[in-house]
Amino acid sequence: MSYYFISIGGTGAKVMESLTHLCIAGLLPSNERLYIAAIDPDVGNGNLERTSTALNNFVVFQNFSVGNDTTLFKNKISIVRPFPWNPTGHDKTLDDLIEFYHHSNTPVGKLYEVLYTKKERDTTLNEGFRGHPSIGAAVLAKKFDDGSRLTAQIEKVIGEGDSVKIFLAGSVFGGTGAAGLPTIARLLKNNLADYADRVSIGGVLILPYFSFTPVDKLDELFARSENFLPNTKAALKYYSEKENLFDATYFVGDSVMTPVGEFSVGSANQRNEAHIVELYAALAAADFYSRPLHTPKIFKYICHHERDKFSWSDFPASSERFVQFARFIFAYVHLIKPVLIALMSGDAKDYKYPWFVDFLKDVDLTSPEVVNFNFYAEAFAAWLKQIETLNGREIFLINPDMFEANPAKLVDKKLFATIDGNKSNLTLHEVFYRLTEPFKFDSTVKGFGKFLRRLYDTCAV
Amino acid sequence: MNRTTRTIIKIFLIVAVTVACTAAAYYLCSNVTGHALATASDNMNYSRWQEKFFALTRTTGLINGLCALSWFLTARFLFKVDEAAGAGKRIFWATLLMASLAVSLGIPHFYAPIIGIKLNGIIFGLFAAIFAGLGYWLLTIFTTPLAFKYTPLGAQLLTSKRDAT
Repeated sequence: MSYYFISIGGTGAKVMESLTHLCIAGLLPSNERLYIAAIDPDVGNGNLERTSTALNNFVVFQNFSVGNDTTLFKNKISIVRPFPWNPTGHDKTLDDLIEFYHHSNTPVGKLYEVLYTKKERDTTLNEGFRGHPSIGAAVLAKKFDDGSRLTAQIEKVIGEGDSVKIFLAGSVFGGTGAAGLPTIARLLKNNLADYADRVSIGGVLILPYFSFTPVDKLDELFARSENFLPNTKAALKYYSEKENLFDATYFVGDSVMTPVGEFSVGSANQRNEAHIVELYAALAAADFYSRPLHTPKIFKYICHHERDKFSWSDFPASSERFVQFARFIFAYVHLIKPVLIALMSGDAKDYKYPWFVDFLKDVDLTSPEVVNFNFYAEAFAAWLKQIETLNGREIFLINPDMFEANPAKLVDKKLFATIDGNKSNLTLHEVFYRLTEPFKFDSTVKGFGKFLRRLYDTCAV
Repeated sequence: MNRTTRTIIKIFLIVAVTVACTAAAYYLCSNVTGHALATASDNMNYSRWQEKFFALTRTTGLINGLCALSWFLTARFLFKVDEAAGAGKRIFWATLLMASLAVSLGIPHFYAPIIGIKLNGIIFGLFAAIFAGLGYWLLTIFTTPLAFKYTPLGAQLLTSKRDAT
């Protein structure tokens, strides 16, 4: 079995970010490889850039030899190139992409002129479909088979005798996601029709959960949050009346619209903070992957106990692995990373850190794998901090009072033992002590991976 | 081996090595130079010298053992490493080494005149080697709690298992 995840648009990219962290933390159901693809015309999108960085970090360090009997890094990730796939190209308008000049003054061309306004046709699509799914649907339907090598790659995997679970994530209230979800699902379904018994397609449809106030530029085409609800209503009507192309469909949204920071049409400035809705959507992907290939369609409601509060009891997942992984990252950031920096600069003596002498004295700490892991640890902490400090919600998964992000650091080290609100005996000193105790791993566990594995194991309660 | 068992074994080892060092110092010094020292003193015979020397050795051994035990107990139960700067504690270990050396040399120096026995340079040398060298330095290399296991000078050379499995 292989897992595919296709993020569509900016919201899809943010779900991909959450899924990447869940995957690295070992929360996917089995040891299958996860192939990740992204579709976004706004390739410079800040959200996508942040996710790509975390993904690329992991791709570099995922081959650390941590052993096969651990959940740490158990799901390997492959990035499906081109990443992201940009269906519009550079500086293209809808007219360019549809090749309107071939059809002008024909009946089809005249119909097209009726369906799309002049502004929709003439706006360059470098920053995405600007909240207009009708543009996206046309472009994606025209360009998917030529531009994306996704179908070919999936066919190759199936040709090798594998089954495939494909999961799509995107918003139904914006431009790219709303256009891409049904379009890509239908194209994949059609392209892979010969392998229907070995393919299952799921999707998470993200409902509105944030709002923004655009700077008024009357001449520009961009998404407006006041259109989110009408867009969503129309999209849901479409899904209820037309054939539902997904074998499993998840709807995730929020009744509180979290205000995002400064408005941006797109590009690098579109860098929104992580949100609990995206984490739920990533958990939906994990749930989809955990189900048998072909199961009857089921409908589930997930509720939470208190209107404005989230805690682990509200999640359809066990906190144990996630909390262990969070401990592992914070122990690394707080206890290990400063030591490695000080040792490399000659500001510290190695005798003080028995784990360094035992595990790392002969390891190259400047290797790309180690450097990428350091970056990743920072990215995870930043992501978690954003989830925990969401406007309008009280989130309590990991105690946000204990850490700061960018650069990640523990501000109250005493809280480490109660990282998830439950009192444990696992203090930072206990982690330090456990790191020095004798243990036994098989011979495949080695190098920096061996150290990370040991650190991860010591972070279990 | 669990942590409690390891702690008990190490405490037992500290006590055992302290007793062994005391015995070694007593028998070695008695046999090497005790007879000559006893006969060189007024109103002293070998068995009386041995009796008083044993009291001196026992006191030195006991206090030296307390130095080794103090290091172990402090490192095991009092020092907390909850950030990088809290690790090592070599100054504390070295202070106790100096204390051990001071005990090994100071007690014979000040206590021997009080109890009326003579000592010589060989005894001072043997006391320093046995108590400070063996009874503190070497002993702490093998009994230091794991979080500080390379703090004693030379510990890395003797006990390091790089890339431990």
